[in-house]
Amino acid sequence: MAEIVSIQNVVKEYHLDKVVVPALRGVSLSVTQGDFLSIVGPSGSGKTTLLNLIGCVDVATSGTVLIDGHDTASLNDRQLTDLRLNTLGFIFQSFNLVPVLSVFQNVEFPLLLQRKFTKAERAGRVDELLEKVGLDKHTQHRPSELSGGQRQRVAIARALVTRPKIVLADEPTANLDSVTGENIIDLMKEMNRAEKTTFIFSTHDAKVMSHANSVIRLADGQILNGKGVPAGAH
Amino acid sequence: MSWFLLLLQTSLRNIFSSFLNVVIGLIILAGTFFFVVGGSLVDSMDKAMSRSIIGSVAGNCQVYEASSQDSPAIFDNWQIPDLDPIPDFSKIKGPLMSDPNVSAVVPEGVNTAIVVYGNTIDQVLEKLRKAVSPGTRQPQAVVDSLKAHVRQMVSVIQADMGKVNQVAATGAFDPQAGEDLKKASSDEFWNGFDRDPFNHLEFLENKIAYLIPDSDQIFLSYVGTDLDAYRKAFDRMEIVDGQMVPPGHRGLLLSKYVYEEMFKLKSAHRLDQIHEALTEKNKKIAKDPDLQDLVKQNRLETREIVLQLDPLSSQKAVSILQATLNSKETGLSELLSVFFDTDDSNFEARYKVFYDQLAPLVELYRLKPGELLTIKAYTKSGSVEAVNVKVYGTFQFKGLEKSGLAGGLSLMDLMSFRDLYGYVTPDKIAETKSLEKAAGVTFVPRDQAEADLFGGSASSDVEQGQQKAINDKAEMGGGAKVQRVDLTQQVYSQDEIDKGVVMGAAILLKDPSRLKETLKSLQDTCDKDGLDLKVIDWQKAAGNLGQFVFVAKAILYFATFIIFVVALVIINNAVVMATLQRVREIGTMRAIGARKSFVLSMVLTETVVLGLVFGTAGSALGSAFVVFLNHAGIPAANEFLYFFFSGPRLYPLLNSGSLVGAFIVVLVVTCVSALYPATMATRVSPIEAMASDE
Repeated sequence: MAEIVSIQNVVKEYHLDKVVVPALRGVSLSVTQGDFLSIVGPSGSGKTTLLNLIGCVDVATSGTVLIDGHDTASLNDRQLTDLRLNTLGFIFQSFNLVPVLSVFQNVEFPLLLQRKFTKAERAGRVDELLEKVGLDKHTQHRPSELSGGQRQRVAIARALVTRPKIVLADEPTANLDSVTGENIIDLMKEMNRAEKTTFIFSTHDAKVMSHANSVIRLADGQILNGKGVPAGAH
Repeated sequence: MSWFLLLLQTSLRNIFSSFLNVVIGLIILAGTFFFVVGGSLVDSMDKAMSRSIIGSVAGNCQVYEASSQDSPAIFDNWQIPDLDPIPDFSKIKGPLMSDPNVSAVVPEGVNTAIVVYGNTIDQVLEKLRKAVSPGTRQPQAVVDSLKAHVRQMVSVIQADMGKVNQVAATGAFDPQAGEDLKKASSDEFWNGFDRDPFNHLEFLENKIAYLIPDSDQIFLSYVGTDLDAYRKAFDRMEIVDGQMVPPGHRGLLLSKYVYEEMFKLKSAHRLDQIHEALTEKNKKIAKDPDLQDLVKQNRLETREIVLQLDPLSSQKAVSILQATLNSKETGLSELLSVFFDTDDSNFEARYKVFYDQLAPLVELYRLKPGELLTIKAYTKSGSVEAVNVKVYGTFQFKGLEKSGLAGGLSLMDLMSFRDLYGYVTPDKIAETKSLEKAAGVTFVPRDQAEADLFGGSASSDVEQGQQKAINDKAEMGGGAKVQRVDLTQQVYSQDEIDKGVVMGAAILLKDPSRLKETLKSLQDTCDKDGLDLKVIDWQKAAGNLGQFVFVAKAILYFATFIIFVVALVIINNAVVMATLQRVREIGTMRAIGARKSFVLSMVLTETVVLGLVFGTAGSALGSAFVVFLNHAGIPAANEFLYFFFSGPRLYPLLNSGSLVGAFIVVLVVTCVSALYPATMATRVSPIEAMASDE
């Protein structure tokens, strides 16, 4: 399987006033396409920082981050934005849907930003995904009219609509009850199987973690168990 | 495109999602409403006032001598601008008329003069003198009636003095005056009148008449012009009383407004004012201090009527008043006071009684069409000139009847105007020549003066001069030698009217919309022909008044500017706050692939859409309000507004310029005010989306 994410000796430091806070201290990691990878660790271990680097919303202080072969350090803001748009999908802990847009429009949004599909093509894709996440009856609803689980399903549909190679999810079940959370992970897993989309998600829920193909354990900005170790190995 | 549709849709939906947006919207709504209504009002007023100014005196433009210190200021009545005369109107008329867009060139000059009036007793005494003079002898009945009238006046003065002496310190009046009055009211004096009328008249004129201080000075502003040309050019002018001055004649047309204001019986004029306020302006005496003031003046100032009435008329008036007031009072003055003490319930009835029954007994106007008026004016050099002008009638401008500004100017023929301004007319030259001839005076050029006056036999010259002087007196007594032409009968040809001095001229255009081009081409014509004239538009020519619309516009635009600057600051702040509230949303958009330019255009579009939505609403409301005003009309509350409105009501028209202007302003303001928050929004990092809200 091809390597879709490659991280070498990445250091990320934050500057708080004059104090330097290290978030990642020399992390190396390799993710193969189609993986269903979970990043776990206590608060402050660097999970979100690592996801931000993979998600191209932040850049490393040192080391290299290769996303689908692109060295993110060499890209400008616009190129990074386009990389996010075309290669990555995002699922947020708090769903982050646009409140004034309908379910359909929220999902269609990234396609509109891509500007390469006709209206019919967009509608086809959006409807197909909404059916898959079980929201085909709710296309015209506003996010505020949906439950938490339903909102996260919309977010999943939105993350997948551009058929990205990688979907990043930062604690996708944290704001959901356990049953709903379970369902969401099941849905993600299903998408992972059907579309061969790489999923990288952070969690500190052991139940959620158990669904992952591989698990990376972070503590104090360092990986505890080497890279891409299969979950079963522990 | 669908991308843009998304922006629009997002914007429209965002509008009502935030209270802040509604606040921004309402500010824009108020701003555009104000802009559209204000713009339409000022524009309509501008048009109305230009109609007033152009249609009454100014014409579309004015020409005047280029060397003048001032420029024409037609409506600045009390400040006559310092203009140099144009020596010969006929020389400028032709070149100006040659412009294809000029329909008329009317000579004009504005001046003010004083009209001095004798008092009522003077006028009655003059009638009495005529009635007893050999040439104009009237029947004894007429003489007796006049005598009775004078005697009544004397008793009125006596009563007045008695009252004054009661309230003032003794000696407020010259004791001699008291003696004289006593004499003039005695039976003995009047019994002896017919035997020696002239001595008695002289006593009355010298000792009594001055005790009635009701003589009056009237300031009269007038335009000296070619009356026929004027009437043809200004078609809003219409004759109200009397007739137009016959072509080529000297004459004065009083403005109806001035005629009512200055020449009408004061009590009657005050009644008219109250009547108008009650019937046309829906005012109430009980609630309006101005009207109460008029009632009070009428109640106190009855003497003008009392003095006018001879005993017979007085008797009639008393019985009319007794019947109307259901009173047993016999004093006319007291009855009048009660009669004029009106309130809202009885005013209209009294008004009717006054005009139906009392008015026929008195002279409502102290000057009637057809009478002569002596007008005195200061010439530019400071000397006083006086002319007698026949008043042919009164006139007004259609639609401007109630305006003191348009009605402030009377119209005078050009010949009399030239006399009063101190310019030499052909008649003056002829008169001077005949005087010179009769007196044997010869013109001595300055450089030959010494030789002519002192050369030769000086002594005989002096002797001859003395001799002549005596002869002159003899001739004056005979009265026939010096020919004084009755100028009121003189008829002048158009040529004579045109050939002479004017202060300026009004130019009327066939197509007023081409004012600017025509001004320029006229100025070019003048410069090319070496006419030394300046051409200005009506607005400048009107003086300060013409600037009014300019000032009104400036105020409007300034107020709008302030409103929108305030709006700009508020909108800017509000959009900043709204953006801060949406950091998560914007971060999310950035994270999932929206470029900075998308975020920028999103915030801009949202604000502009917000502006356009509320701007449209504001314009629509404003337009509806203007349409409503156009239906209802805005009443002219005072005579100034009457002039600015060019009539009793202003019917404003929706001004497309204001609508377009409102939209441009809204666009600019919203764009500018959203610029900072929009750039701020582009700096929102996609990391913001990741932050948990725990």
